[in-house]
Amino acid sequence: MSQIATPGSSDGALLRLRSVFKVYDTGETPFTALKGIDLDVHTGEFVGIIGKSGSGKTTLINMITGIDHPTSGEIVIDGTPVHDLGENDLARWRGRTIGVVFQFFQLLPTLTVRENILLPMDFCHMWAPRERVDRAMDLLEQVELADQANKLPAALSGGQQQRAAIARALANDPPILAADEPTGNLDSKTADAVFGLFERLVEHHKTIIMVTHDNDMANRVRRALHVSDGEIIEERVHRPRAGA
Amino acid sequence: MHAVRWKKVFRDLASHRFRTVLVVLSIATGIFAVGVVMGGRAILLREFDSEFAASVPLNADFYTMPFSDPIVRRAREYPGVAEAMGRHSASLRYRWAGADAPRTLSLVAIKDYDDVTVQRIVPETVRSWPPKRGEIVLERAALQVGKYEIGDTLEVETRTGEKKILTVSGFAHDINAVPAQFVGSETGYVSFESLPDIGEAKSYNELLVAMTGTSLTQREASLLAENIKRDVLEENGITVLGVYVPKPGSHFLGDIFKAVSLLLLALGLLSLLLSGFLVVNTVSALMAQQIKQVGIMKAIGGRASQVTWMYLGMVAIYGVLAVLVGVPASAWAGQQFIEFAAGVLNFRVSSYVPPDWVTTLEVGVGLVVPLLAAIVPIRLGTRTSVVKALTQTGVDSAAFGHGLVDRVLGLLRGLPRPVALSLRNTFLRKGRLLLTLTTLSLASAVVMSVFSVQASINQTTDDLEDWWRYEAQVRYERQTDQAGTERIIKGTPGVTEVESWVGTTVTLDRPDGTTAEGLNLIGTPYDTTFIHPTMLAGRWLQVGDEDAVVVNTDARKSEPSLDLGQRVTVEVAGEKRVLRVVGVVKGQFGGSALYMNREALTVLLPESGITQTLIKMSFTDTASQRRALDEIETRLDDANYRVVSTRTTAQFREQIASELGILVAFLVIMAVLLAAVGVIGLTGTMTINVIESTREIGVMRAIGAQHGSIYQIFITEGLAVGFMAWLIGAAAAYPMSYGLVSLLSGAIGLPLSYHFSLTGVGSWLGIIAAISVLASVAPAFRASQVSVRDAIAYE
Repeated sequence: MSQIATPGSSDGALLRLRSVFKVYDTGETPFTALKGIDLDVHTGEFVGIIGKSGSGKTTLINMITGIDHPTSGEIVIDGTPVHDLGENDLARWRGRTIGVVFQFFQLLPTLTVRENILLPMDFCHMWAPRERVDRAMDLLEQVELADQANKLPAALSGGQQQRAAIARALANDPPILAADEPTGNLDSKTADAVFGLFERLVEHHKTIIMVTHDNDMANRVRRALHVSDGEIIEERVHRPRAGA
Repeated sequence: MHAVRWKKVFRDLASHRFRTVLVVLSIATGIFAVGVVMGGRAILLREFDSEFAASVPLNADFYTMPFSDPIVRRAREYPGVAEAMGRHSASLRYRWAGADAPRTLSLVAIKDYDDVTVQRIVPETVRSWPPKRGEIVLERAALQVGKYEIGDTLEVETRTGEKKILTVSGFAHDINAVPAQFVGSETGYVSFESLPDIGEAKSYNELLVAMTGTSLTQREASLLAENIKRDVLEENGITVLGVYVPKPGSHFLGDIFKAVSLLLLALGLLSLLLSGFLVVNTVSALMAQQIKQVGIMKAIGGRASQVTWMYLGMVAIYGVLAVLVGVPASAWAGQQFIEFAAGVLNFRVSSYVPPDWVTTLEVGVGLVVPLLAAIVPIRLGTRTSVVKALTQTGVDSAAFGHGLVDRVLGLLRGLPRPVALSLRNTFLRKGRLLLTLTTLSLASAVVMSVFSVQASINQTTDDLEDWWRYEAQVRYERQTDQAGTERIIKGTPGVTEVESWVGTTVTLDRPDGTTAEGLNLIGTPYDTTFIHPTMLAGRWLQVGDEDAVVVNTDARKSEPSLDLGQRVTVEVAGEKRVLRVVGVVKGQFGGSALYMNREALTVLLPESGITQTLIKMSFTDTASQRRALDEIETRLDDANYRVVSTRTTAQFREQIASELGILVAFLVIMAVLLAAVGVIGLTGTMTINVIESTREIGVMRAIGAQHGSIYQIFITEGLAVGFMAWLIGAAAAYPMSYGLVSLLSGAIGLPLSYHFSLTGVGSWLGIIAAISVLASVAPAFRASQVSVRDAIAYE
């Protein structure tokens, strides 16, 4: 059953989580990864989720992207109750609404960079077929990889692969970008470049939710949520850096 | 535009060439096995049946005193007769430069070879056809026992003892002639003009009749044969010496064919099952390997249905490639197989093209089975949650440790760590292990069963040998003087003891009113020490038995009324006699036989004298036995005793072994084929296990594991799987081989002595160990060549 709703929700939050619990059945004692998370994110926000390994930050972003399901609670994104969607509707919804960026890039190794970007458009039937290639090239221009379009991912550096993954995440022009440790596998210079790219996207009204354990990165986002033991224990709002 | 996702499918196929080749080979092996076995069976039956039908098989064969064309015409005009023809047949001894000892020639003379209406003969390689005067065309099965060539001369001994020369002028095929390797005599065709030259009368002595009606029963054929005998032959003063009425439409090799056909069917179904397992196994492994990519595609918007179609497409491409490889390969191997079968069973093949249903089945195995087999693993794969798919690192660490086996393995102490790791790895992917084990265990069970069937056949021939307590046998043309022949034979060097038997053919009155002609009634001393009968029921002959007969299993199979305790009426030398069946003995491949006390039978016969002499010799080697037998034949010949055939027991055993050897040869071919399916299955599983473990291999190497340790881990894992398959297969082989032996016994009408081959079980353990090592070494080598960095980064 498709429950994809029209943009915007009554209180203006693009993303709303209420009492989200996630309990993993590990075989012996259940492990509660999220303990009743409440969260609102508005359009154009750049939100960082910070926490130590095992704190629940990746579980939280997986709830937002619909990659994982909450044990209980509500997740409404852009008016769509994500927690109620089945796998198929979730996949289509995700393809159009959220661009996902992974720590290990997760580009498909047998497709070229350009084809990796074309794939989400193909899956979600976005854009006219002739427009897809132009759009893929535009996105590659934006991430400064146009000259690498026909190469296989293995031929690219880590930073280039992550930029390609960001371009792929933007393929269907989703309002939200969810990134799990996007700079965790990159050197500081490349990480900085990727972060800069995110900041430019936010300027273009994209909403970005980024998981990181890097305090420097956390200090650069506009809103930082500190997660520990499955709970948001602290929230800080920063002023944007000059020139960002 | 769906091009991108299909591009991924094609790129995956192209970039994982090794895996593609392996999967395609796995499916192709299944197609190959099914194609060769099922196709072979279908072509075998089709070609044999069509050639047999085209030859116009006879429904009644009358052996008579001489007659001429008017009798043939009368027979042709007789109601119910489709075709009739007369010919002259004789059994003569001959010498040929290619053989040390004299051999027997089943001679056939036909007046007009262009007008053969029953049991047609097809000239193959001939210098002249029909054979000219002084020439002989041999039935091509002679080439199976000797290197006969056109131009060879055969020195034929006439009935009067004269030596005459016939020159081989070619080879012909007669599907109705019993192949030389089965009877120890060659069939040859000569012109009518040659008959006087070799001391034979230029007249017919055999009337062959083909009857009308496609659904003729044996009873109807027997009744019509009796009428022809009476109205056409006896009424015209022609004495009938014997009548043979075969089961309509059945060939003398029909039992062997039935057995081979049943075996092929059983093994064909097994190969179909094995192919199915192989495909399920391979596709499951493929999906396990692709699970992370499935997760990525779903994470970027791919729906389960879209991803499912991609993988079904991939499997369909594997299937198409496998069909392209497997169908021609099976056609080629099938042709080799049919050529072998046609050579051994002596029939001609006009077309090697399998019937459409076989090709459909092959395409089904190649395309439909993989797709059906792929549905479950693909659905499982595409339904895996994105988070699970993305976090899976090749092997689910939570998958091990919960089951009983896991806990037992966890408790094992004192094993070297790599061995313990291998054993635990073996049970890590339980679903795949189950599929691999099923495939390999089934293949193992079949191979070990084949060993046992072979052992049972050998045991049967050994048991047969136990029956014979003599080294040689001489048969005479007619009843002969006992004292005279025994004196000559006893006087030959090497002979230690002789015993004379008397034999005659009798007619049995069946309960349905028809008669069975040509049953052998053999008179033997009740206390004979020359045979050791294997009693299956009742008792052997006793002193004073006058109306008691012991029947063999061949007789009981062809005439069910010959059962223990039954009183049966037989016609012996024109007189009806009631005999009592007191025992059943195992048959000896010598055809139907009824045994009674020699003295009791002699009383029933109008003439005195014996028909065969059994000889014990001091020689243990077959060459000396053969030489002594030749000497006996020469001496009997010199004394004007007409010998119709001689044979050593060793020679007869070889003939039986060659007949049963056909079954063994077919079984071995099929076992090798099924073993190949099992081996490909194990190799595929091990390869995919290793590919899947690439990351683990990287980790192990990163923490100090050298090549040797990696090899040890995977080889031990392969050996563990091989050992388990051997163990399960050995347990399954017992009932399976018992079933196969029973099936064969029923088909050939001889109770085979069941023998479970422990040697076979032991041999297969060695073979499967070698296979397991080989199946693991190549993938482990491949994995060990990957750098640690690449291995750890492996997706």
